[in-house]
Amino acid sequence: MTTTSAMLPVLLAVPAAGAAVLTLAPLSDRAARLVGVVTTSAALVVSVVLAADFDYGNGARLQHVIDVRWLPALDVRFHLGVDGISLPLVLLTTLLTLLCAIHTVGSTPEPGRPRQLLALMLLLEVGVLGTFVAADLIVFFVFFEIVLIPMYFLINIWGGPGRRVAAVKFILYTLLGSALMLVGFLVIYSQAGTFDMVRLGREHGAHLSSGIQLLAFVLLMLGFGIKSPMWPLHTWLPDAHTEAPTVGSVLLAGVLLKMGTYGLIRIAVDEVPDGARRAAPALAVLAVVGIGYAALACLGQRDLKRLVAFSSVGHMGFVLLGIATLTPIGLQAALIGNVAHGVITGLLFFLAGAVKDRFHTSELDELGGGLLAKLPMTGGAMLFAAIASLGLPGLAGFWGEMLAMLGAYSPGGGSSRPLFVTLMALAGVGTILTAVYFLAMLRRIDFGIVADRWRDVAMRDVAVTDVVAWTPLVVLAVAIGVWPRIVLAVGESAVSGLLR
Amino acid sequence: MHLALAVVLSALLFGVGVYGVLARRNAVALLMAVELMLNAANLDLVAFDAYWRDRLHGGQVFALFLVVIAAAEVGVGLAIVLAVFRLRDTSDVDELTELAEHEPAQVADVTG
Amino acid sequence: MSHWAWLIPALPAIAAVVGLFTARWMPGGPAVPAIAGTAGALGVAVAALAVVEDAPARIRESSVEWSPIGGMTLHVGTRMDGLAAVVAVMVCVVALLVQIYSTAYMAGDPRYSAYAAEVSLFTAAMLLVVVASDLFELLIGWEVMGLCSYLLIGHYWQTEGARAAAVKAFITTRIGDTGFLFGIFVLGLGAHTFDISGVTEQASSLSHTTVTAGALLLLAGVVGKSAQFPLHVWLPDAMAGPTPISALIHAATMVAAGIFLLARLYPVFVAAPVALTVLGIIACITMLGAALAALADDDLKRVLAWSTVSQLAYMAAGLAVGGWTASVYHLLAHAAFKALLFLAAGSVLRTVGTNLMSEMGGLWRAMPVTSITAAIGALALAGVPPFAGAFSKDGILAAARERGGGLGTAVFVVGLVTLAVTAAYVTRLFVRTFLGGYRGRAQLHESPLVMTGPLVLLSALVLALGLPALPHRYGVSRWLGAPPSTRSLHVGIGEVALTTLIALVSIGAVLLLHSRRPATDPVAVLGPVARPLARAFYVDEVYDTTLVRPVRALARGVVRVDSGGVDAVVVDAGRTAGFAGGALRRLQRGNIQGYLTGLVAGVLVVVISVSLAVAR
Repeated sequence: MTTTSAMLPVLLAVPAAGAAVLTLAPLSDRAARLVGVVTTSAALVVSVVLAADFDYGNGARLQHVIDVRWLPALDVRFHLGVDGISLPLVLLTTLLTLLCAIHTVGSTPEPGRPRQLLALMLLLEVGVLGTFVAADLIVFFVFFEIVLIPMYFLINIWGGPGRRVAAVKFILYTLLGSALMLVGFLVIYSQAGTFDMVRLGREHGAHLSSGIQLLAFVLLMLGFGIKSPMWPLHTWLPDAHTEAPTVGSVLLAGVLLKMGTYGLIRIAVDEVPDGARRAAPALAVLAVVGIGYAALACLGQRDLKRLVAFSSVGHMGFVLLGIATLTPIGLQAALIGNVAHGVITGLLFFLAGAVKDRFHTSELDELGGGLLAKLPMTGGAMLFAAIASLGLPGLAGFWGEMLAMLGAYSPGGGSSRPLFVTLMALAGVGTILTAVYFLAMLRRIDFGIVADRWRDVAMRDVAVTDVVAWTPLVVLAVAIGVWPRIVLAVGESAVSGLLR
Repeated sequence: MHLALAVVLSALLFGVGVYGVLARRNAVALLMAVELMLNAANLDLVAFDAYWRDRLHGGQVFALFLVVIAAAEVGVGLAIVLAVFRLRDTSDVDELTELAEHEPAQVADVTG
Repeated sequence: MSHWAWLIPALPAIAAVVGLFTARWMPGGPAVPAIAGTAGALGVAVAALAVVEDAPARIRESSVEWSPIGGMTLHVGTRMDGLAAVVAVMVCVVALLVQIYSTAYMAGDPRYSAYAAEVSLFTAAMLLVVVASDLFELLIGWEVMGLCSYLLIGHYWQTEGARAAAVKAFITTRIGDTGFLFGIFVLGLGAHTFDISGVTEQASSLSHTTVTAGALLLLAGVVGKSAQFPLHVWLPDAMAGPTPISALIHAATMVAAGIFLLARLYPVFVAAPVALTVLGIIACITMLGAALAALADDDLKRVLAWSTVSQLAYMAAGLAVGGWTASVYHLLAHAAFKALLFLAAGSVLRTVGTNLMSEMGGLWRAMPVTSITAAIGALALAGVPPFAGAFSKDGILAAARERGGGLGTAVFVVGLVTLAVTAAYVTRLFVRTFLGGYRGRAQLHESPLVMTGPLVLLSALVLALGLPALPHRYGVSRWLGAPPSTRSLHVGIGEVALTTLIALVSIGAVLLLHSRRPATDPVAVLGPVARPLARAFYVDEVYDTTLVRPVRALARGVVRVDSGGVDAVVVDAGRTAGFAGGALRRLQRGNIQGYLTGLVAGVLVVVISVSLAVAR
């Protein structure tokens, strides 16, 4: 279908317009927050309309396509489209950004300035949505880069005491990743002669020599691996998450990390499959090392937000393992793992942020225990989120982890079965360790007796905005856990199309 | 006259000029050495024009170009030297180091 | 029935959600939805039982499409047969009695609404395991049970003991559950379906390695959930939870789920005799070891916990030697008499305020109902006919004897020895708690009707459950659809006589020891041997040294490596760039002639190289 649909440009234009309004118009704080909520709601509505209008039977094909001339000298067209792989991520992004805007209504981090905060958030949203719907490599790259600047400022201005270092580390490290990624794109272009992702996907690496494919895949793996993050390229993440404000952490974990794994699926696996086949064992090994390493690191953490940050590394390890298996099951694992992680870890960061707001610290030793007694709703939500995050069957996190291991049991792409089964077993040990650290965390802060220093301090448990922000995530975690079809069915045909 | 004579002379003059530029401390002497280099190049151009004898006389044309440029350059250069001398009371090139990179007072270690 | 069997797990689940969110406004308190939900499920389960009665071996299945995964499709639904219906009824009965009992036991507890909701959720999850038609559906129920167990063990989370015990329980069972998950992978991918019916039907046609590997991995889950060696360590500690929970979860239902799984998927194990042998060995070790540990523990609830471990091992051993009907019968009997014993213990603990038997004694005078019902439970546990538990144990021993071979003989011998030890420890328990003189300081009184009522009901049940041993209308063989190639239940007079004799001798020996020295613990007669028994052969200590401490140390190491090693690479790369900049900075001296010298040198190099290149 080559009819031009305006839905995707509208989807991108709505938050961009909101950002422009917030930047240029001299609004009061209240008005700015209102504009933020209205814009993100509008974006969510557009994405829901997109989902309603989506042809689920044809999930493999790009829909709502727009394909116009843009930079003919560089052989770049402005080509956008959404398919079964990107649709859930688009919905996740618009939902999380809306929840962040609602959270900002409730509480704005130091030093205030909600106008600028929301403008940057909306700009971030444009970048992320653009990445997910891009169908041309350079368009993808442009939107990928657009994401970095707002996040840098989000951390640098509204972050914690160590924000300068964390922000610089974040942006330089991910820029390095972007550079590697760009080189990878150019390598692909040099032999394939096109930047168009649809054509490259259809060709499936036919015009690319095996050596070039491997080179391109390795470059893309490193570039996207920094973003995912993949061990050992993960060290920017804990610092960035610890210092970022709540909305920054939620968006970083909930949405930005998905860009890396999405890129791997959409570009690396689809366009250089030969390279993927040869590098898959390495990717799988690094993924599983990440799972175990992150779990052990979490066990030794002293700061709540850092602990949740490392848990992200572990979860994305499962997603990467799923991708490395190069099977429909494995890729499905990656898709649902992405969505589940976004929902659950987004919730965890909201909660960690709430705790930090009330207690003015996120050090586990200083928080003491008894959160369930002091702040029952927050403590209860924390209990739920931790249980969901450790992958209890019946909640969303289970499916990503389980399907990744199932995919590893019989890997595709000619990978060595003994290796992958060993990795599967190690990943299983990783799930045990994940349970250990989450339960240890709950034991330290949720249960137990309230520490003396906090006993008489008055704290509000939850505000209306908190309930509104957390409830959709709780509901989604249960819904996806009990009825995984809502994510898996969407991507089914697209995934099998990727692996022809 | 043999071409080689003019070329060698030009090279020698150029060499003297380079020495003067790199080694003289007085700014005016430095400018004189630059003049010497320019005129060496001029000599080369004239000699080769005499050798090739082409219709456009490119060598002679460019020699005239060079004369004009040298004159302009000396004018501006001496004006700068005079201004500097009035300000700093010296025309010693080694004293004029404002363009240097100083060690910053405190290294801002952004890598933490 | 296909259309309404799903109500069995659904009703308690709805009750849990309703109870949790409307606790404040519900007239009558949080108990109302909890009891209503469980009672409703009981009603539906009894109706299901009535439906399957005529053909218990026939499977009535109903499922809907659940989710695509890769090339396969998962279905979710219900799979009812005699086994599922009977066990469902058992679960509902015990859960209902526990909910009623809890209204008194937990009266005044500030978190009672959460407790009641968690118990309802647990009931729903266990029922889901019982009626599930798909392996992943079963796994969801399995793990949600584990979650509720964690929450309920940790109910008194202000105390360190409860917190630690809850985590230990969850992690230990999770270790088993990981193996369980892998077993599902192996069997499901081998049979190209994750439906339980599909897997059991194809079990005999799968390759030998596949089915053996799958069965062994499933065993890991059984060992974890049913607290068998070596994953038994969580159950005694789990006694830190409220006693009604110990009765429900850690005696009658959750721990029985492992045995239920074995029974449900029996065709898979039959096709993998190696797995059955391994099961038998584990069962023998656990049976005797746990019974010995029960002999020396001073904590009333811990004795009952060790007893549960031992009795579960009996059931496992029965399944290992092909005595399917006998094992399931023992599961039902054990549910009844163990729940009875735990609830009686709860009645005692609530009165005397301590778990330690050294501070009890002589309670029969002040608590007659509790004492008599406890005596009935004790006799059933010891295996004295005609109480429940007698004939089922005999059935298991008979099956072992019939099977013969190494495994059969081992199970038979160990089973008999364990029988003796069992009778001994339960007599010790009764004697230390109810007989002699009172050694404590509390005000003694009988418990209220809401608590003694369930005790009496359960005693009646324990008495009645002796009957189903016979092959008549209410005989257990008639109500369960035993799979083929299992041994049917029959109890010979010789067996019964032998086991009764052994039991009575043990009971008599302990009573004799007690009457000689009423104040001391009868186990003291064992002297220095008592110490390792009381410490359960130091298994916990071994795990602490070999697993817990190294993992903690490893965690600390990883954190150090991360900030000092992996991150250091990144940070040092940044610092190197800074230093390089600083070094290059030194070239800019501001001296024009320096720059010009460099320029001239560069030009010379270029000119020379170009001329050389051109000359070549």
